[in-house]
Amino acid sequence: MSERDIVLSSIAKPLIAALLLAGPAAAHGAFVDMGTTEAVAIQARYDTGALMAGAQVSVFAPDNPALPWLTGMTDADGRFVFVPDDRAGQWAVQVRQAGHGAMGYVTVGTDGAAITVTASRTGLSWAQRLLMAASVVWGCIGTALYFRRLRPAEPA
Amino acid sequence: MHIPDGILPLGLSLGGWAIAAGLTALSLNRIAAQPDPRAGLPRAAMMTAAFFAASLIHIPVPPSSVHLVLPGLMGAMLGWYALPAILIGLAFQAVMFGHGGLTTLGVNAVILGLPALAAFGLTRALGHLTQRAAAAIVGFATGAGAVLLAVALFAAILLAGLPAHLDAGAERAAITALALAHLPLALAEGMVVVAVLGFLRRTSPEMIVAR
Repeated sequence: MSERDIVLSSIAKPLIAALLLAGPAAAHGAFVDMGTTEAVAIQARYDTGALMAGAQVSVFAPDNPALPWLTGMTDADGRFVFVPDDRAGQWAVQVRQAGHGAMGYVTVGTDGAAITVTASRTGLSWAQRLLMAASVVWGCIGTALYFRRLRPAEPA
Repeated sequence: MHIPDGILPLGLSLGGWAIAAGLTALSLNRIAAQPDPRAGLPRAAMMTAAFFAASLIHIPVPPSSVHLVLPGLMGAMLGWYALPAILIGLAFQAVMFGHGGLTTLGVNAVILGLPALAAFGLTRALGHLTQRAAAAIVGFATGAGAVLLAVALFAAILLAGLPAHLDAGAERAAITALALAHLPLALAEGMVVVAVLGFLRRTSPEMIVAR
C-alpha cells in the first residue's frame, strides 16, 4: 500500500462513517428508474356519445371478481389508465355513475406481457339504431292491427 | 332510469323480479276478468311501441341528458295493461340497445310499473272530472308525479345496493345530479299527458275510460 493510498483512506473512512450516521436525511440524491410497460386505457361514454366524466372505475383481477383490485375515477374526458399485474386471465373493468355503467374485459396472457381486449361493446350507429327501433315499432303496430282485425270476428 | 346488469347485488335483482312477477300476475288477472280482455290489446301494443321508442329520444338537460320514460302516460292510457306493456318494452330496450339489462328487468319494471299503476289509480279516481282546468291539473299531476315517483324509486334502489368499495359520496352526488336533471322531464311528461288526454277527450272520449 503506497503512502498516497493511506492518506486517501484516512480521509475517506471518517467521511463515509459520517454519511452513514447521518442516515436518510443526508440522502439528497434521487433516482428515477424509467421503463415502458403495457397499460390498459379505457374511455367511457354514454350511448348518447357524452363522455362519462368523474365516473367510478373498479378493476377486478381474475382471481377475485367480488372485491376490486383497483378503484379510481375517470378524468374529464372519461379516460382511465391502469397497468394490470402479471396475473393471467380475464380482468374486468366496470365504469359506473349514478346507476348507469358498463363492463369491459381484458385478458392478460400467461407470459404476463400480452394484454388483449376481449370484450368491449361499441356503440351502434345512428342508422342501426333507427332500423332496430323501426323493426320493434313495426312489430307492435302489427300486433295492434292483428288484434284489431280479430275483434269483429269475436262472438258477442 | 334503466339500471343495467352488474350494478345491483343479486338480492335486489331477484327481489325486483319477484315483485315484478307479482304485479304482472295481478295485472293479467285483472285483464282476464274484463268482459273482453282482447279489447285493450291494440292500444296496449301501440303504447308499447311509444314507450319503447320514447327512451331513444334524448332531451338535453345540461350537463347531461335525459330521455322520456312515460310511466304516467302508460298508466293513464292502459290501466292494467300498463305493466305487461312496460315489461315487454323494457325487454326490447334491454336486448336491442342495452338500456337496462335482463337481470335487472324486474327491478326496472318495478321502477316504472309502480308509478304507472299509481297514475292509473289517480286517473281512475279523478279522471271523470270534465272541467278543462281540473282535467288538465289531474293529467299534469299524473304525468309529472309518475316521473318523480320513478326517480325516487330508482335512487332508493341504487343507494340500497351501493357496494362498499365505491366512493359513496361521489355516487350520491351523481345520483342527486341525475335526479335533478329529471325535474324538467317531469314537467315535460306532465304536459304530454295533458296534451294526449286533452286530444282524446276532444276526439274520442270513449278511449280514455280507465279500466
